Amino acid sequence: MKIKNISKLSILILTILLVQACSNSDVDKQSLMSLIKTTNPPPISAIKDPKEERIVLDIQEEVLSNEKIYDVAVIKGKTDVLVAYKVKHIHRFRMKQIKGELKKRLEDQFENVQFTLSSDYKIFLEAVKLQKRTEQDNLSEEEFDEQLKDIIQLSKEQT
Amino acid sequence: MNHQQKTYEQKAYEKIQKKHEAKRPLLRNCIVAFFVGGLISMIGQGITYFYIYFFNFTEKTASNPTVATMIFLSMLLTGFGVYDRLGQFAGAGSAVPVTGFGNAVISAAIEHRSEGFVLGVGSNMFKLAGSVILFGVFSAFVVALIKTIFTGLGGG
Repeated sequence: MKIKNISKLSILILTILLVQACSNSDVDKQSLMSLIKTTNPPPISAIKDPKEERIVLDIQEEVLSNEKIYDVAVIKGKTDVLVAYKVKHIHRFRMKQIKGELKKRLEDQFENVQFTLSSDYKIFLEAVKLQKRTEQDNLSEEEFDEQLKDIIQLSKEQT
Repeated sequence: MNHQQKTYEQKAYEKIQKKHEAKRPLLRNCIVAFFVGGLISMIGQGITYFYIYFFNFTEKTASNPTVATMIFLSMLLTGFGVYDRLGQFAGAGSAVPVTGFGNAVISAAIEHRSEGFVLGVGSNMFKLAGSVILFGVFSAFVVALIKTIFTGLGGG
C-alpha cells in the first residue's frame, strides 16, 4: 500500500514537472516540428538589404547542393553567418568530414564572411526559433545580432 | 587447469545430462533483449530530445542529464520492484543499457540495508557496479593516453 502511494506520488510529480516544462510560447510550439521533419526555413539576415538577402539565399542553395544534407537554416548577422544543417542518417558517421568539406567550399565561395557551421539539432532549433521571432516580433538589428551571437556561443559549448 | 581425459562414468553422465537438460530459448532471448533494450534506448532518446527542446542543452551536452535521468528512473523502478521483473523477462536487454547500472547499485543497497547504513549500504552498494566504474575510468584513461600520444606526435 505504502509503495503504491509512493509510486503514485512520483508519477504525479513527474507529470507536474512535464506539464510545467511544456507550457511554452507559440514560437516554441511552431518550431517543435523542425526537430522531427524537414522544414528548410527561409534564410534571413540582420540587414534588410536585397544584396544581403541574395547572399543568404546563395549560401542556402550551396549547402543544399550537397546531397548528404537535407535541411538547412541560414542566418546572417552583421559579420557572422550561422549555418545549421541536418545530415542524412546514413551519412551521420562522417559528420566531421562533411563539416570540413562544407566549410572549405563556403569560405572559398563567399569571402569576408565568418562562417559558423553546426549539425546540432539544438542549434537548428534555435535558428528556426530566431527566424520565427524575427517574423513575428520585428527585432531590431542589434537584438537580432545579439541573439545570433548567443546561438553561436551555444554551438561552441563543450560540456 | 585439469586437462585429464574424462572417465567412462563422466562421459556417460554427460550424455544423460544432455538428454534431460532444458534447452535455453536462445533466439527468443535475443529477440526479447533486442526489443526491450531498443525500447529503453528509445526512452533515453526521448529524454535527450526533452532536454534539447525545453532546456539549454545541445546534442553534445544533453547526454549527461539524460544518463543521470535514466539511472534515476531505473533506481526508482528497482525500488518499486518493477525493474527486477523486467530483468527476468528481458535479460541482457535490461542489463546492458545504463539503466542496468542503476539497477546493480540500488539492488545491492537494498539487499544490505539490514546491515546498517555505513557497513551495509555504504560498503556493499558498489559491489556489482564498482567494477563497471573501475574498468570504465581505466579504459577511458588508456584511450585518452593513446589519443594524447597520437595528437602530440602530430597525428590529429
